[in-house]
Amino acid sequence: MIDFSLSDEQRQFQALARDFAKDVIMPVASKHDQEESFPHEVIAKAHELGLLNVIIPEKAGGLGLGMLDEVIIGEELAYGCMGIYSILMASELGITPILVGGSEEQQKRFLAPLLEKPSLAAFALSEPDNGSDAAAMKTRASFEGDEIILNGNKMWITNGGLAEVTVVFASTDPSLKHKGTVAVVVPKDTPGFSYQKIHHKMGQRAAHTAELIFDNVRVPKSNMLGGLGDGFKIAMKTLDKTRIPVAAGSVGLARRALDEAKNYAAERKAFGKSINSFQALQFKMADMKIGIETARLQTLYAAWLVDTGQAHSEASSIAKCYASDMAFDAANETIQIHGGYGYVGEYPVEKLLRDIKLNQIYEGTNEIQRVVIAKHVIDS
Amino acid sequence: MKIACIIKQVPDAEARIKAAGGAVDLEGVTFVIDGMDEYGVEQALRLREGGLDAEIFVLALGPKRFEEAIRTALAMGADRAIHLEGDMALDPISQAKILAQVIQKEGAELVFVGGKEADWDSAALGAALAEALGWAFSDWTTEMGVEGSSLTLTHDTDDGSETLSFNLPAVISTQQGLNEPRYPTLPNIMKAKRKPVDKVNLSELASAGKTQVLKQEIQSKERRHTILTGDAQEAASKLVQLLRQEAKVI
Repeated sequence: MIDFSLSDEQRQFQALARDFAKDVIMPVASKHDQEESFPHEVIAKAHELGLLNVIIPEKAGGLGLGMLDEVIIGEELAYGCMGIYSILMASELGITPILVGGSEEQQKRFLAPLLEKPSLAAFALSEPDNGSDAAAMKTRASFEGDEIILNGNKMWITNGGLAEVTVVFASTDPSLKHKGTVAVVVPKDTPGFSYQKIHHKMGQRAAHTAELIFDNVRVPKSNMLGGLGDGFKIAMKTLDKTRIPVAAGSVGLARRALDEAKNYAAERKAFGKSINSFQALQFKMADMKIGIETARLQTLYAAWLVDTGQAHSEASSIAKCYASDMAFDAANETIQIHGGYGYVGEYPVEKLLRDIKLNQIYEGTNEIQRVVIAKHVIDS
Repeated sequence: MKIACIIKQVPDAEARIKAAGGAVDLEGVTFVIDGMDEYGVEQALRLREGGLDAEIFVLALGPKRFEEAIRTALAMGADRAIHLEGDMALDPISQAKILAQVIQKEGAELVFVGGKEADWDSAALGAALAEALGWAFSDWTTEMGVEGSSLTLTHDTDDGSETLSFNLPAVISTQQGLNEPRYPTLPNIMKAKRKPVDKVNLSELASAGKTQVLKQEIQSKERRHTILTGDAQEAASKLVQLLRQEAKVI
């Protein structure tokens, strides 16, 4: 049976997220982008409304929303600002490995406190010298008595340093490759753990991105998710899921691009008529619409696979890769439709292009997604 | 105390409405809880949060699709709902009679209703409801407080505003300025689905309204698109002339 309808509850989530994007995110998006400042007020309001850390399970006191719920909400939030949405999305990304690899006790211990105040989680896998080649991680974990000691650096970490909990992936012995990896939860104020904010990003400038520094950081062994050798597996299983919200965000941003194009093309006149009467521009908008609808279907499909406990690695890679490439094209074309006005900050469209570029890079570059997809093609 | 909040579901203010075949065509239109009614739900919740011991129920009279507006009100924080469900088109006077029966049966003492409805723009329901109940009434209310069984409130009049005091039971019609309605939070949206919604078949309460709708049209205004030519002085004097003689606004 195929059913494309949303539940009553999902429609309400969608309406809430849509209102939130319009009333809370959009009025401040440009300011935080220009100032490269963190939108504390937006995150506080998101927490108040329950839009933050929505996947924390009911057992840990959370709402326990599914992936379909998350992507329905995500599309709406990203319509308002992809950079601000990334903060919330990256927090769910930080929570996911604790759900994937953590015990019920660990889930309660690490996640329940996140619900008490506007708190974030972070996911620390990439390093200054390696991103896609995650198994080549250099951050070292060693065991001493009941403690794990971490040393090394992590790079491009969204919410890095601001997060109450950070899941850090490290290797006990690089010669063991995947089998030497661990996933360790590091609380915010652990001695030896510091961060450096990364400035001058091209887009998504409201989101805080940092390099994390671990200098003899000691945490209890009970902070390790799964066992020795599980780190890489937990990271990959996490990304198989969390790239779906990246796809949802891309769809939301593309929808914004189309709305901006549609509004501008209706107002702007050339040769005595509205420019939306020219097929050259109509076709651009039609292509955007084709991309948005098809990318959303793939995103919802991948989310449905997750929620129904089915294999979703390939579907989520297709969704992330296709939706972010599609949204990049949509943002690019909406600038073209706006002409010179699209190239300056007076209209929000140049920001869309700067913001969406990152969706083709983070949570696995689109090249890595194609590697995953091709592997499924060849191996199946 | 029991507080009743009358709610309606209306087309979203941004929806494009068409008329076809002498009737408004609502196909594909997004519906939302009437913004005017939201003020009433919010006010009831604030009274309770301010210490009033109250049960808050929403009361809706309309077709099945009203369920969505009902769920919004429940997600905002109302305790339960009564849905008088039916497709019958009823005028405000007939609606008020039916609603009054239910309000009396439920034993509510305070009723909130939107100052007017966003769809048909009638401001009649509140007054008609107060009439049917024989209760005190304040329309276009912008401020209110309850102390014991006494109400103090400020409402708009044609020339300004006035502050009134009267005893419960009462009907209050609400409008912008009374409060800022809250968003339903995600946890409350999830809790709302477990709240009781009593369904009553509207046809058991009413047979027909007092009026019959013969035809509906959408109000539209033609624009003249006049472009004034000549130099600035000339164009300005033509504009002044048009504003005086045609538009009669200066």
